[in-house]
Amino acid sequence: MAKTEIRVGGLGGQGVILCGQIIGRAAAIYSGKHATLIQAFGPEARGSACSAQVTISDDEIGYPYVTHPDILVVMSVDAYAQFAPQLRPGGLLLHEQELIAVDDRLPAGVRALGVPATRFAEELGRRLVLNIVMVGFFAGTTGLLEFGAVERAVRDSVPKGTEDLNLRALRKGHEYGLEVAAVKA
Amino acid sequence: MRLEGFPREATLRDGRTVKLRPIQPDDETTLGEFYRDLPEEDRLFLREDVRRPGWAEEFIHTVDFDSIISLVAESQEKIVGNATLYRSRHGWSAHVAELRIAVARQFQRHGLGTALASLLVRHAIALGLEKIVAHVVDNQVGAKRAFEKLGFRQDAVLPGHVKDIRGVTRDLVVMSNDVSHLWEAMAALVSDYSPTMGE
Repeated sequence: MAKTEIRVGGLGGQGVILCGQIIGRAAAIYSGKHATLIQAFGPEARGSACSAQVTISDDEIGYPYVTHPDILVVMSVDAYAQFAPQLRPGGLLLHEQELIAVDDRLPAGVRALGVPATRFAEELGRRLVLNIVMVGFFAGTTGLLEFGAVERAVRDSVPKGTEDLNLRALRKGHEYGLEVAAVKA
Repeated sequence: MRLEGFPREATLRDGRTVKLRPIQPDDETTLGEFYRDLPEEDRLFLREDVRRPGWAEEFIHTVDFDSIISLVAESQEKIVGNATLYRSRHGWSAHVAELRIAVARQFQRHGLGTALASLLVRHAIALGLEKIVAHVVDNQVGAKRAFEKLGFRQDAVLPGHVKDIRGVTRDLVVMSNDVSHLWEAMAALVSDYSPTMGE
């Protein structure tokens, strides 16, 4: 892998930034790669649009800003509308499939894979872990990071006592991601 | 939800080991024996008539590992403890679960109840629950202490709510372990808001 640019987008309160942090942490701390994270959110807390830009590379990263991501992870309609046209042609869109309907604004050759992450999170007991389902889905569909590295990054990143639920969410998203990637390969 | 990491072994304070595992359909006979063998004063504090023929079979059929999650402790192929978590999947108390535990006399005060309770408390948190409650009678000092060690605190006392084997009226203590702070911490973490941004 030379360099992979990722953008995560959604609403404030969906854990967009944490999603980006976990991907970056799994890459930089547990996979021996280089990673950068740029986070953007407004002064309002929940409900406002926010996004994280993550770059992962085997080499040092000179420029951390992501303009045309290879992978876009989106959890809200607004984030999809704003960021989907910026995807690199031939890139990968990972979306919350029950919130976002994929349309023709995607650049040519983009592969779109969806996951009912909100429903999975609610079934697991807490809607709060929607973003962790998305991290698992990211790991399962892209294969960019070893699952063990992502698991350790999640364990490190979430409040003590909540690890079990978060890891269940991660596994759920990962297993679903593996299935979806295999079917649509 | 499937219970992971079972069966597992627990070493009690006196060195004995017991096997802890989810209850299973073929436990019907041994579970019935376990409850029938409990001394009357212990059985009195249970909510159901566990000596009734067919009770164990009915109980096992209610365990779905979703609303009702039950573990047993096994020693020499006999059940010596049973702990069950009850939760409602809807309504105003969907965030609460109730924990009930019974331990054979010869295994009481050796840490078995704590071991069983600890596993179910952890499981309750993994289910996203916010509060786990347990009911104890005021003179069940060991049980109260065991729950306190697991983070339970006295929530309420219902005076004269139970009568013991001698007909003595006793207070029922409602204890709870409030873990809502865990989810508040998680909510803060995913708020996507930083007060220091832009400074």
